Amino acid sequence: MQDLLNVASLGSIYLLFALGMALVWGTIGILNFAHGATFMFSAFVGHLVTSETELPFLAVVLVAVLVGAAIAALTQLLAFQPILKRSKNQHAAEMRILIGGIGVAAIPLAIAQHQTRSSPFGFRSSYEAEVLEIFGLRLSTTSAVVIVAGLAIGIGLTVWVRRSRRGLALRAIGVDAETAAGMGVNRTLLAFGTMATAGALAGLAGALLTFQLGAIAPETGDQLLIKAFAIIVLGGLGSMAGTVIGAYVLAGAETLVLNLNYGTWVDAVSFGLIFLILLARPQGLLGRKEVRRT
Amino acid sequence: MGGAARKRRTLLAGLAVSAVLATVACGGGAAGDSGGGGIEKTIKIAQVQDQTGPIAYAGLGASEGAELAIEEIEKQGFLGDGVKIELQKLDTAGEIERASSEMNKAMGDRDVDAIIGPAATQQAATVAPLVGRQKVPTVFTQAGGEGVVINDYTFRVTPPMESYYEQVLEYLKDKGAKTISVLYNATFPTFSLLGEKGVPKMAKERGIDIVQSLPVQMTTQDFAGQSQQIAKKNPDALVMLLIAPQSVTALRQLKEAGYDNQIVATSVQAAGNIEAAGANANGLVYPVPFSTAMDGESSQAFTKAFRAKFDKDPDPYAADGYDAMWFIARAIKASGDSSREGIRKGLAQVAKEGFTGAMGGLTFEGNDARVDGALVQWQDGKETLAQ
Amino acid sequence: MSDWYSMNVVLIQTTLTTLLLALSIQVPIRFGVFSFAGVGAFGIGGYTAAIAMVHLGWTTWPSVALGAVISGIVVFALGLLVQRLTGLYMGMATIAFTLIISVLAVNGGELTGGAGGLYGALGEIDTGHILAILAVVVAVLVWTETKGMGRRIDTVREDPELANSVGIDVVKYRLASFALSGVIGGLAGGITTLLRSTITPAEVNFHLVIVALTAIIVGGARSWLGAFIGAVIFVWLPTMISFVQEWEKVVYGFIVAVAAIYLPNGVLGVVKDLIHRFRTRQERARLAVLQEKG
Repeated sequence: MQDLLNVASLGSIYLLFALGMALVWGTIGILNFAHGATFMFSAFVGHLVTSETELPFLAVVLVAVLVGAAIAALTQLLAFQPILKRSKNQHAAEMRILIGGIGVAAIPLAIAQHQTRSSPFGFRSSYEAEVLEIFGLRLSTTSAVVIVAGLAIGIGLTVWVRRSRRGLALRAIGVDAETAAGMGVNRTLLAFGTMATAGALAGLAGALLTFQLGAIAPETGDQLLIKAFAIIVLGGLGSMAGTVIGAYVLAGAETLVLNLNYGTWVDAVSFGLIFLILLARPQGLLGRKEVRRT
Repeated sequence: MGGAARKRRTLLAGLAVSAVLATVACGGGAAGDSGGGGIEKTIKIAQVQDQTGPIAYAGLGASEGAELAIEEIEKQGFLGDGVKIELQKLDTAGEIERASSEMNKAMGDRDVDAIIGPAATQQAATVAPLVGRQKVPTVFTQAGGEGVVINDYTFRVTPPMESYYEQVLEYLKDKGAKTISVLYNATFPTFSLLGEKGVPKMAKERGIDIVQSLPVQMTTQDFAGQSQQIAKKNPDALVMLLIAPQSVTALRQLKEAGYDNQIVATSVQAAGNIEAAGANANGLVYPVPFSTAMDGESSQAFTKAFRAKFDKDPDPYAADGYDAMWFIARAIKASGDSSREGIRKGLAQVAKEGFTGAMGGLTFEGNDARVDGALVQWQDGKETLAQ
Repeated sequence: MSDWYSMNVVLIQTTLTTLLLALSIQVPIRFGVFSFAGVGAFGIGGYTAAIAMVHLGWTTWPSVALGAVISGIVVFALGLLVQRLTGLYMGMATIAFTLIISVLAVNGGELTGGAGGLYGALGEIDTGHILAILAVVVAVLVWTETKGMGRRIDTVREDPELANSVGIDVVKYRLASFALSGVIGGLAGGITTLLRSTITPAEVNFHLVIVALTAIIVGGARSWLGAFIGAVIFVWLPTMISFVQEWEKVVYGFIVAVAAIYLPNGVLGVVKDLIHRFRTRQERARLAVLQEKG
């Protein structure tokens, strides 16, 4: 039981991080490799602010969310938008968006590394995590917040993308951008809003994770990036529900291997699992069948 | 591509190398002419270490320490009146190829008399055969892995962690610990060595039982499961061998899991790396080659001088740079010759005798330094000597 | 000249080995296969060569050759497994393959030296040797880029269905790209390792994928010449901008992002454009002269 709780907690961490990335990738087709840097830098700004004045939990989260949204919006405005404008179609832009994101990501990373000398950083907050004991199970309040936030936002986004008008417009872009534009969807504005939302999610993840883990390092974002990439592909691109499941599958696999005390094989087993799932289901767990001729 | 052509090319390449060596020899010769193997007026030392990137802290710290040492050496007239030391910083930016390339530039520059070499083991291991081939004396700091000190031209002032880790187990034994668990990062070379071989051996010698050995990898970020496993076994002490951000998380989650016994860690925790853990790190004990808490006279003097110059506390990396620079200065004085070959001879001689520096008394096994180090305890944001 | 050469010999050699690595990623992309297995091949080739030298006492070139052959076979076998996958699903599966290679190296005990890796495998390699190998590789690639073969490969990439209908065996072509990428990646790994004398598991990582990808996209994705330009830029840029000292990484990220935005076809595309423009101007001038005469 305790293990399940641990899986839920770890999976929610991955989920919070991956959601923003999945949202922009699955809808407006932007694979944002600066997501990890956005995540890290939001937490870093939170760290800078709290080293000036001590702040309560929610205030730190708010700061990080705003910073994350701002970074992502700027990335969209200054890098991705110009790339899209200069490309014939989405497909031609794909690789350049990838590289553009990598370039953008290097900047906040270098700044944070320089400022911290790569030491881990955390928050100075009036908030102190407490440990809850329920039926002999231990759970810190931060973990509880992370699990609730991860699940709520995950399910909320899934439903929103499926049901709402905006969500429909977004999915339309994901399927066929040109046609969607023809149907009166303002792509530029919608893309901008989606990126800002994803950035806010990155900021939220940054703040909650730093509370949960105590501290993160400038390089933490990069480590999560590859896991998030794996989770999204595993779940099936374009499916938010797939991302939710993917996150818990990865966390479950990792926890299992760790509990069996094969700590150094964690990556091999989890990536091996992803490899096998892809062989069995080439579109991921819940991915839509792409219309492709061969 | 005929055999003859290939032979000619290798020959040409060989010539290129010997041309470099010849010019190097000339440089040394010129210095020799001016004073029978004497000391030049300006001695140029290249510091080829990370100034940017993920392990910039090691290179930046060493730079500060080296600068302080130079200031002292010049002020004292240690190498004679008016002898200046020029420190050229070359950034390896956390990349092996950059290290190799910058080292190559430094070795190719005839004015460079000695090099302070890369702090990352892999960068160091890559350049170590090269400095042997080109005969440039090189003093490494950090770079605790194997394959670094491999020939007459390679020296290292930072002792490898396993050489001063014994005192941790000694401490645990004194405290009456009978059982320990080991939580270690098995993808980090130093820790994998220590966790799999070093600690088990040291524990066995002292009659301490290892009840649990939990390897994790570099990318592990959550330690909830391991923490609960450890809390369940409840050993007398936990040996925690993790990198900086992992340590902060593990300490917090161990507390949350209800583990309250002694935790011992590594010198990674030094240099303020554990600060982010706050109260969770109180009582943590770890060994360091240098700490401001060390009460030896030379260590205290270094701490005081460093504070005066930089208005902050020195970290172990600064002590590295300081001792490396003094090591080179002593070598020049010992051989009375600031050419590359002269410095190499001097370094070997000083290494044989040992010397006292920021890290206390340094002795050498071959060209590799050993220190006693200190066992410190972290309490409310400060290191004190562990009792 | 020889002075300049001896000062920069490492950078020159690094440019060549980076080019090999970039080519191992570029080849499958030119065939329309989004495979990053070349980086895994780099690891296999590097480790095989180092093991052959350290444990078996082999000399330089047989070690490198063994590495290239084994990585070619392994990556070809991988290709058989994952050929059904498309787009980034293929990308994820091959990245998983690469990361698993790294975990195997960590757990390889004495054979691979564990987390500390292998050291002391210093081969006798000079720039001439690498140039010779590169010449062979490039000759093969030029053959795949020009004339009938070039057109067939373009068709396989752009329109696999059309390719099938005109009798090109798409599957065979794609598998060939795997084998080729494996051999080139293995060569890159073997040569790089024996030049450095060491290899560790930490090197075979996602970062290397990013390095290769950046070089290709910034240089030009469609031709070996683009990869060459990318390798030159990637290796030399950091030393060129090292005068900005601690801001080096920031400037670097900025330049990569700008390149992604403003150079849709990489540097090679710009060069081709300029040549094209120059030619048309000459053509016009000639026409004008002709008209005046007439």
